[in-house]
Amino acid sequence: MPLFGKSQKSPADVVKALKEAVNSLEKGDKKAEKAQEDVSKNLVLIKNMLYGTSDAEPQTDIIVAQLAQELYNSNLLLLLIQNLNRIDFEGKKDVAQVFNNILRRQIGTRSPTVEYICTKPEILFTLMTGYEHQEIALNCGTMLRECARYEALAKIMLYSDDFYNFFKYVEVSTFDIASDAFSTFKELLTRHKILCADFLEMNYDKVFNHYQRLLNSENYVTRRQSLKLLGELLLDRHNFTVMTRYISNPDNLKLMMNMLKERSRNIQFEAFHVFKVFVANPNKPKPILDILLRNQDKLVEFLMKFHTDRAEDEQFNDEKAYLIRQIRELRPSADH
Amino acid sequence: MPTREDIPSVEVPKEIRLFRTSLIATVTMMVSYETNIDHYSTISILSQCWDGFVNVLLAKHTPSAKLVAIKRYNMDKLKEDSYLVEHEIILTRQLQHPNIIKYFSSFVNGPEVCVISPLMAFGSCKDLLDTHHFSQGLPENAITLILKDVLEGLDYIHRKGIIHRAIRASHILISRKGNACLSGLRYACPIIEQGKWQKQIHTFPINVSKNLNWLSPEVLEQNLLGYNEKSDIYSVGVVLCELANGSEPFAGMATTLMLVEKVRGAAPQLLDCSTISRNENNELNGFSHNQANRRFSEGLHQLTALCLQREPLCRPTAAQLCNHSYLKVSRRGLYLPDLLKPVLPLSDRVAHNTDDLANLDTIHKMSNLDLFTCEWDF
Repeated sequence: MPLFGKSQKSPADVVKALKEAVNSLEKGDKKAEKAQEDVSKNLVLIKNMLYGTSDAEPQTDIIVAQLAQELYNSNLLLLLIQNLNRIDFEGKKDVAQVFNNILRRQIGTRSPTVEYICTKPEILFTLMTGYEHQEIALNCGTMLRECARYEALAKIMLYSDDFYNFFKYVEVSTFDIASDAFSTFKELLTRHKILCADFLEMNYDKVFNHYQRLLNSENYVTRRQSLKLLGELLLDRHNFTVMTRYISNPDNLKLMMNMLKERSRNIQFEAFHVFKVFVANPNKPKPILDILLRNQDKLVEFLMKFHTDRAEDEQFNDEKAYLIRQIRELRPSADH
Repeated sequence: MPTREDIPSVEVPKEIRLFRTSLIATVTMMVSYETNIDHYSTISILSQCWDGFVNVLLAKHTPSAKLVAIKRYNMDKLKEDSYLVEHEIILTRQLQHPNIIKYFSSFVNGPEVCVISPLMAFGSCKDLLDTHHFSQGLPENAITLILKDVLEGLDYIHRKGIIHRAIRASHILISRKGNACLSGLRYACPIIEQGKWQKQIHTFPINVSKNLNWLSPEVLEQNLLGYNEKSDIYSVGVVLCELANGSEPFAGMATTLMLVEKVRGAAPQLLDCSTISRNENNELNGFSHNQANRRFSEGLHQLTALCLQREPLCRPTAAQLCNHSYLKVSRRGLYLPDLLKPVLPLSDRVAHNTDDLANLDTIHKMSNLDLFTCEWDF
């Protein structure tokens, strides 16, 4: 095989060897140590074919195509992910790198790996439950975010029941896992604007019931991140319908007004960016208007003293001045 | 890895030693560092960084009675930087090498993110240079031992596709047994982007003003040629000068001048009798007698010059440097903690410092005072 030198195995050989090794690792028989070694070795071989090394270029497209085909046919991607916790520390990262590279493969405008995963959604679901296992959570996160870049895959994940587990994952006590899960969660909810808007509209009650828990979380980081994301979601013009619905609910307004008074300055600031939408709404429903009217003087006084040290932030100061004027000029509606 | 730390240095037969190593390793691995602040009792403040918003504390992990370091980031005070904290922790958690700092666990406590890591009892190399004894540099043998560890750690992260971008003495930590570890990974960036191993990186690190003196000319130039992992090798060269001379080259120089000097290829040097020239009156141009009279070996001079070459392609890789003849010379019998005397590891010199801790507590409480008293009428 002059194409890739004497010592190099063909894609089919490497995939076969890797599959056998993972299988025996799964069985956990006496040869486990040998299996571990074989898994690591063959993963590195595949990784080097895809990425190259400091001395060697990546393999040609033909070889990569063969490799990808072998990976699909052997179902190895799923097998690797299912056994990820059994693979050693560096091997886990190699799996993620191989997966992410193969995922990005393109033939013209087609993404064959994405098409393949659409027929094998277990891959996505297995990756999502990966957040429940400390030792593989971050590796699964890397792969999930890469998947979320593709609308077809993001859609499968968003519309699955497993999606709601993210509300649990983003709050786990281990900070690195929680914040990694949050990045994936955010990617799923913001990357594909129309898909996300449709999803939020169709599942408004379920999503925002869960979301409420994040906003009330005991965990400072969760509370802050989820509040910031809420602001971004509501202010995205694609989510207009969702925003209208959100700002019609007086409970949401009460929550934001309370968050304006939180100890943390960052949370106050993020809450301001959600609160402003309630005030700026030209068609305030009566319950919303009533709350604002009842607190009219307090709000004006409060906002006058709110984050006065942000003198250099022009947009914030303009918005604050606008809110103060709006609240001052509030009058009961005609039928009040 | 913390495991070696715990092995007593009594002479025992090799077989038993190996057995003991693996046993202790297993036991150490089994200590789990809970994500709950109640399991750690703080003893004293070790250092503060990021304008005082990040505190490093010495603490005891009460279930195992082990000393650990707790790094506490005040997330409410860190603004734009808060995602760097996340980046640093997630990245460090995915690295496993004896010469890269290990994070046992990380969790949120109030507005702070806490990271538990092994206690690095000699602090950073910068801490060593800040002691009176080493203000003009470390002895050559100490530098060499540190360099070996740094290069091993660097080779590992380069092989894993990461550029460190902030190699400097303050990011090299020394354990009680003299093992050097790289930290400061918040500035690091991946070489792999868009599913490909990139030949050049063009992104400029963020929030980097304090690291400029250590950065390579090609990173600072920010031109189309970009840079790669060889820029870390340049920084290693700067660190060698820093460790040998007591402060980094270009220190105190205007940033633009520093940039011009680097771009035109001026290579910093180790200060000793071969590089410090006396003027016609036999004066030392501001250098001390100690610096002017000492002599670093030819090997160390050469190695430093190799790292500081203007052209990145000419610089050796971390792996090649590990195999450099200068580092291949056996240094058995050299033990870093001995070379660092009279500076002692932390565990031997700190007592419970209640004053500082009480202060920290007060500051904490003050910042938590509720300033808004108004009540909404719902």
